[in-house]
Amino acid sequence: MIELKDILIQYDQRSVLDIPSLRFEKGKRYGLIGENGSGKTTLLRLLAGTLTPDQGSVVKLTPNGMGYMPQHPYAFSFSVLRNVEMALDKSEVRRKQALAALEKVGMGQFVNARGDKLSGGEAQRMACARIIAKPRQLILLDEPTSSTDIKGMDLVEQTILDYAAQCGCTLIFSTHSPAQALRLAEEVIFLHQGKIVEQGPAEKLLNQPASEQARLFLQHWQL
Amino acid sequence: MQTLLEAFRLLLGADPELRQIIAVTMQMSLLSTGISALLGIPLGVLIGANDFKAKRLVNRLLHTLMGLPPVVAGLIVFLLLSRSGPLGTFKLLYSVTAMVIAQVVLITPIITGLTANVVSIKAPLIRETAAGIGLSPFRRMLYTIYECRVPFVSNILAGFGRAIAEVGAVQMVGGNVQFKTRIMTTAIMMQTNMGHFEFAIALGIVLLLISFLVNSLVGRIQEKTLSA
Repeated sequence: MIELKDILIQYDQRSVLDIPSLRFEKGKRYGLIGENGSGKTTLLRLLAGTLTPDQGSVVKLTPNGMGYMPQHPYAFSFSVLRNVEMALDKSEVRRKQALAALEKVGMGQFVNARGDKLSGGEAQRMACARIIAKPRQLILLDEPTSSTDIKGMDLVEQTILDYAAQCGCTLIFSTHSPAQALRLAEEVIFLHQGKIVEQGPAEKLLNQPASEQARLFLQHWQL
Repeated sequence: MQTLLEAFRLLLGADPELRQIIAVTMQMSLLSTGISALLGIPLGVLIGANDFKAKRLVNRLLHTLMGLPPVVAGLIVFLLLSRSGPLGTFKLLYSVTAMVIAQVVLITPIITGLTANVVSIKAPLIRETAAGIGLSPFRRMLYTIYECRVPFVSNILAGFGRAIAEVGAVQMVGGNVQFKTRIMTTAIMMQTNMGHFEFAIALGIVLLLISFLVNSLVGRIQEKTLSA
């Protein structure tokens, strides 16, 4: 379980995240949606611990085994296989785990390619493999398929769903696609100008948004 | 044309003074670049990879020092090493050591500043990805250094370029003493003033040749690293 209390983050005296209270239940899948600059990435970075709030606290009762995939994951200039292995503890099964994870996201044929030579979509799939290569309790994914093609997106989505079901981990991801939120999330959180405007079961919120902001945001999308 | 031919004759004949000047120049430039790299790269990584309160001020100071006029650096080192200065007891003035110190003062901010710039671009991306998969801060730092290895070579080369072409500071603290502290740039200046153009041209050719060789070598290393 993760709990956020009285969170306030400001840049240049402008509030970019203002969350009085938010709770993520263990083993549940959450989707963050909202327009650009609504605070999705800031919230994920806060949960990942790469950002400290100006005010408030984040209480994690499952602090170990967190995996966070940023919006622009860095692909290191060594082999794809080593890029995934670096996320794993040194053990005899390390290579096996990394290869299996790469196969799952359709990157099996790229194991010897250099990470920094991959396309944006391939780098995202490799980064996803880095996260799912070992069991974790909390997975944070920032727009995990924003650069992948449809085939890659299907593979990543299915891999994430299988992984979450297998590990029983908490999944929190951001997306610009309500359709993806519907496919992956049990619960959706709609953010607007750094505030949570609406939160609820994915199907209900995406089909019948209660707030005006969510209605305006979703009217541009065809589910 | 006659002067140019004489310059090549001097070069091919390997004049003992010319040999000595080239040797001192290389010794001083390589040593000062090496020391500056050892100081500047770690310092640049620390400044570029970390966020701290005085970072903006440190960067401004660094950029100011990157453009430090050589004569000012020479003056500072001269005052430090002169007989009445705090380091006067070491009697280092008018020695290659004094020239190396002056060059380290000049080159270290350049290598530090360039390194900090490169690292500050790459470090946030690496930090976020590495933290996301649970790597320790020490391993993040090692990966950051590894990922910046190619620009680091260019930074060191920029430092070497400054060292080998510098004249003001080394003239002040080295004194241009024949067979001791005379280097290519100070010799070119002196020989030109004396009207010995063939000697100055011969040294100029060597300077250009060294610069071309170093650039070619580094270019090759960078190409190989990037395409491997």
